[in-house]
Amino acid sequence: MNSVEGLVNQIQGLSTTASDVLSLQNLLKQADDSLHAESTRLLPFLDQLDPSKHSLGYLYFLEACTAGPVTKEQAGSYVLMIARFITSCIAEQIRLAPDKFITVCKRFKDQVLLLEEPLRGVAPMLTAIRKLQSSSEHLTALHPEFLLLCLLSRCYKAGLSILEEDVFEVDQPRDLFLFCYYGGMISIGKKWFRKALELLHNVVTAPMSTVNAIAVEAFKKYILVSLIHHGQSPTNLPKYASSVAQRNLKNLCQPYIELANSYSNGKIADIETYVEANKDKFESDNNLGLVKQAVSSMYKRNIQRLTQTYLTLSLQDIANRVQLNSPKEAEMHVLQMIKDGEIYATINQKDGMVRFLEDPEQYKTCEMIEHIDSSIQRLMTLSKKLNGVDELMSCDPLYLLKAGRERQRFDFDDFDNVPQRFNI
Amino acid sequence: MDFSVLNEALASKSFNKIADICDNLMLQVAAEGVPFRDEWPFAIHLLGHIYIDDINSARFLWKSIPPAIKESQPEVVAAWKIGQKLWTRDYAGVYEAIRGFDWTQQTQVLVAAFSELYTKRMFELLQSAYSTISIQDAAQFLGMSEEDASNCKHAHLCLCREVSYYFTIFRCIA
Repeated sequence: MNSVEGLVNQIQGLSTTASDVLSLQNLLKQADDSLHAESTRLLPFLDQLDPSKHSLGYLYFLEACTAGPVTKEQAGSYVLMIARFITSCIAEQIRLAPDKFITVCKRFKDQVLLLEEPLRGVAPMLTAIRKLQSSSEHLTALHPEFLLLCLLSRCYKAGLSILEEDVFEVDQPRDLFLFCYYGGMISIGKKWFRKALELLHNVVTAPMSTVNAIAVEAFKKYILVSLIHHGQSPTNLPKYASSVAQRNLKNLCQPYIELANSYSNGKIADIETYVEANKDKFESDNNLGLVKQAVSSMYKRNIQRLTQTYLTLSLQDIANRVQLNSPKEAEMHVLQMIKDGEIYATINQKDGMVRFLEDPEQYKTCEMIEHIDSSIQRLMTLSKKLNGVDELMSCDPLYLLKAGRERQRFDFDDFDNVPQRFNI
Repeated sequence: MDFSVLNEALASKSFNKIADICDNLMLQVAAEGVPFRDEWPFAIHLLGHIYIDDINSARFLWKSIPPAIKESQPEVVAAWKIGQKLWTRDYAGVYEAIRGFDWTQQTQVLVAAFSELYTKRMFELLQSAYSTISIQDAAQFLGMSEEDASNCKHAHLCLCREVSYYFTIFRCIA
């Protein structure tokens, strides 16, 4: 008990200047085990500490406090305590102990889910990410936790800000997999299919030494979203995907591959039969809704294909070719596609005809020029960044070792070992 | 719960900001652990999403509303009915849903603004999608009687010429 009290005094005394905080950190690291041993008696001591001043010390105490099993009643008070801590803590202090901070936040998420109130965790988790990140390009272990809370509480819009940031640094591969998978699901929910494809593509083509479940589920959704957005599914993974993925993913997602094949034949009746026959499989994967969206996108594809052949077509003809029940249904489909900008056409109800038009975009407007300009700027920044990374990599000793072993040898000098260290 | 920002937005008719304001406020209040759902203005929140044509968010919000509130607050149900009609693309049904309920004073302002905006959007859609359209259908899409439609009484309609039972739609000149 004495040592805990002593520790509290030290925290209160050593939390002002940066050098003090560093020495405090050493003390706390040494005291960590004893804190965990006294975890059940630590709660009253938290009242003596101010999370907005003594963030590091508070963090250590909080982590030790919440280490054991938590009942639903306790969860209520812990959740509030952690949420307030996250809002008021000093970012520089908690960044000295990022693992502890992540552990506390993950427990926060668990407790919020135990209380069945994921909505409570959304705002604090976002604050936690902002405080933990060293920059907006840094993907922390809390990113996927945040997206999970957004998904469970159906606050898809809240996840948007995180998804729009470019990611450059990743702590753990699993974080990236989960982040992109959940991000893909959120994008699907908001019907941003292009973004969803981008994120799911990242999961499927990420380096992996063995197939993981996240990649398999992502691939299933990737096929379906490809059908909805592009009207065709990717037949083969790109070359930069890992060989493990290229060899195994298709075998593990057989029903989806067959669905995609059926889709490419263009016959609604066939695909509907296939879906009906395999409903259980899709449902157990929680993909039935997405499958149905893919099927209904077939009508759109078929109508779009008509624009490539015809200048005008009667509504009755459209209905026949696309296998709709009536010209009125065809009209409603075409109207919806015009509204969504998926087709350029005008309907002539008097004659019952549809006239297909060219894309009126002339690429001459100010907005278009601004759009192109900002794209060029973004690409230039990206290119600079890649050059910087490339230079860093070519100085990396591990890379040099491997490249050196496999390099071509034309000269006597080439038979020397690759220098691993320069002693200057 | 501090609804001052929301009330300001309603008073200044910044209806397109209502959805964001409500979303952020809800996250903040939920983080405090305060039980807020009984007093939450779900009808306005739903209509805020509907106003900016974000039916997806409206749908998710509707799904998250507890059944007890759905049963005890008919205005919330009526607000969702508008969203539902938009979701199922029952263009004419939207007008029925708007007119089919006696809205409270605060909500009425938002509903009226949305109604005007929706009619404008529908008219723009008709303009871009149709070269000729039957008076009957036009009347349904614009939520007016066939007589009104054929007399072009709505402020946003510009010159339309009647050709037997059909309109030929010209581009707006004004």
